[in-house]
Amino acid sequence: MDAFRLLELLILVAVLVGFVGLLLRRNLFLKVLAMDVMGSAVVALFVLVAARSGLQSPILTARPAAGTGTAFVAVADPIPQAVILTAIVIGLSIQALLLVVITRLSRVDPSLDLGSFERGGLQRGSLEAGGRR
Amino acid sequence: MPPLSGQTLLIGWLLLPFISAFLAALLPPLARWLALACCLATGAVAGGIHAGALPASLHLLGPYGVVLQPDALAAPFLLLNALVCGAVVLDGWRRPMPGPFLLLLMVLHGGLASAFVAVDLISLYVTLEVVGISAFLLILITRSDRSLWLALRYLLIGNTVMTLYLIGAAVVYLEQGSFRLEAAAAAGAAALALLLVGLLTKAGLFLSGLWLPRTHAEAPAEVSALLSGVVVAAGVVPLLRLAAVSPALADVLPLIGVASAGLGLLFALLEADAKRLLAWSTLSQMGLVVLAPAAGGLYALGHGLAKAALFLVARRFPGRDLAGWAGRPLPAGVWGTLWIGSLSIVGVPPLLGFFAKSGLEKALPGPTAWLVSLLAVGTTAVYARLWGAPLRRATPQPGAAAEPEPAWSPGVLLLLAALVLLGVGEAFRQWSPALAPAAAKAALVLAVGVGLHRLLQPLRRVAWLRLPDLEGFPDLVGGIGVVGAGLLVWVR
Repeated sequence: MDAFRLLELLILVAVLVGFVGLLLRRNLFLKVLAMDVMGSAVVALFVLVAARSGLQSPILTARPAAGTGTAFVAVADPIPQAVILTAIVIGLSIQALLLVVITRLSRVDPSLDLGSFERGGLQRGSLEAGGRR
Repeated sequence: MPPLSGQTLLIGWLLLPFISAFLAALLPPLARWLALACCLATGAVAGGIHAGALPASLHLLGPYGVVLQPDALAAPFLLLNALVCGAVVLDGWRRPMPGPFLLLLMVLHGGLASAFVAVDLISLYVTLEVVGISAFLLILITRSDRSLWLALRYLLIGNTVMTLYLIGAAVVYLEQGSFRLEAAAAAGAAALALLLVGLLTKAGLFLSGLWLPRTHAEAPAEVSALLSGVVVAAGVVPLLRLAAVSPALADVLPLIGVASAGLGLLFALLEADAKRLLAWSTLSQMGLVVLAPAAGGLYALGHGLAKAALFLVARRFPGRDLAGWAGRPLPAGVWGTLWIGSLSIVGVPPLLGFFAKSGLEKALPGPTAWLVSLLAVGTTAVYARLWGAPLRRATPQPGAAAEPEPAWSPGVLLLLAALVLLGVGEAFRQWSPALAPAAAKAALVLAVGVGLHRLLQPLRRVAWLRLPDLEGFPDLVGGIGVVGAGLLVWVR
């Protein structure tokens, strides 16, 4: 089997596992982790897409002298790599925000079970009341 | 010094909200004025685009750079962004806003403005995430336990679909070597389906939009106004842009729109809570916005202005339960807003909603236009429930310690004035005898809708007539899965 095809399949499996985890897990923390599994799979996918044209990092170490002509090196495509770097940063910050909220929610139900939040037993807040700090 | 070019002005305008947010953090007393300045700048840009004074396309940073298109499609959405954010700022002018509210509002405003003009998949991804994160923090602003859960739900769903969207973007790049929207249209069906799942969920459409009613209904009034007024439009604009270049999507999107409109209407008709009724109606109206790319902008503008006004006064409803609605008199400011806002959504001339609706019907082929009229009847029946409440005569309350709130908040007035003035402007622009049948049709729709409302009223007391609760977290993820799988099979 082609190595790229195998890696693609593995990434697909990781995405599906993440999605099913998000659907079936009752624990909020595990749901967020499942989402992270999906996110990591996407990062891997972009790295794989970038590696189709070559494996070497696309960094120019020395300026080639004019007219001499440098040997062709198969470098990785820098664009998907640049794109996924942005996505990694966004994913990380979202992960951090979600975990902060989960820490706060764990005061309501330390077991973080989905059911205890869904039933609507939590009090509503209004902007004037300001909520509790 | 050379005069400022259009390009410099546009870049400055896009950066302004983020710089202002940064400044507002350093100088909190200036925050309101800075927020207002951002909204004014966006309004001016929308006017400039309309007048053709600004370049319609902007290439930044060479061949692999970013392309922005502040074109005619974006103009109504930018105006909507300016008016709704401005109204929220004005509405809270006399009240102390909790900590970072205005700062987040500016970031949200900037993210939305960029999302409306971005035309490549990755810029869209980044701006949609900025919008998502700032909306998440805005929902959290009350810091109640309930809002913690709602915000968590919102961001978790939003980030999951954006992950799927990124996979779609990767496939597009693999096939086409570009992230432009045109490349997405030329890419295979699987990539398009993945991108669509992300955008449909962000736009709050059909089963993938089931997160919307609870989030919009439970958030504080100001945040609901922002969410229902403009934030959903961030997903709609790329959908409209994509539908304009991709025939495969142009076939599928109207069907999803009609399904979404029907679903939202059904739930809104049987809803027992006033704010949730408004939120379900958003889901329904967003379905109508995506029916025709040509008419969608004006329709979104009309709906967004009216819905934001309705949500802003929802703060002052005496109670949210619709069962005793007719027995609770409303203050004049709430009562008047309720009538003007809902009459515009229903499509009564000369309000903006009427011209949006007739524009939509003109842009659609025959049978679909009739379907839109049928849905308008349902919409009338939904809003007729809010018209039952009587007007409260102003009586000075003896011994009221706090200064009473003015009957009309300036923010709501701004939105209502925009609805009326833009409607009158449209009336002068398209003035012709052809408007008379359209107005007659609107009156007929109104009458039939009120009749339907009367007919449905006894049915709501029937105990077994309950719709299933589709808003649990597994239902939301399942809805996304179903829509994604359906699109994968369906889109060709």
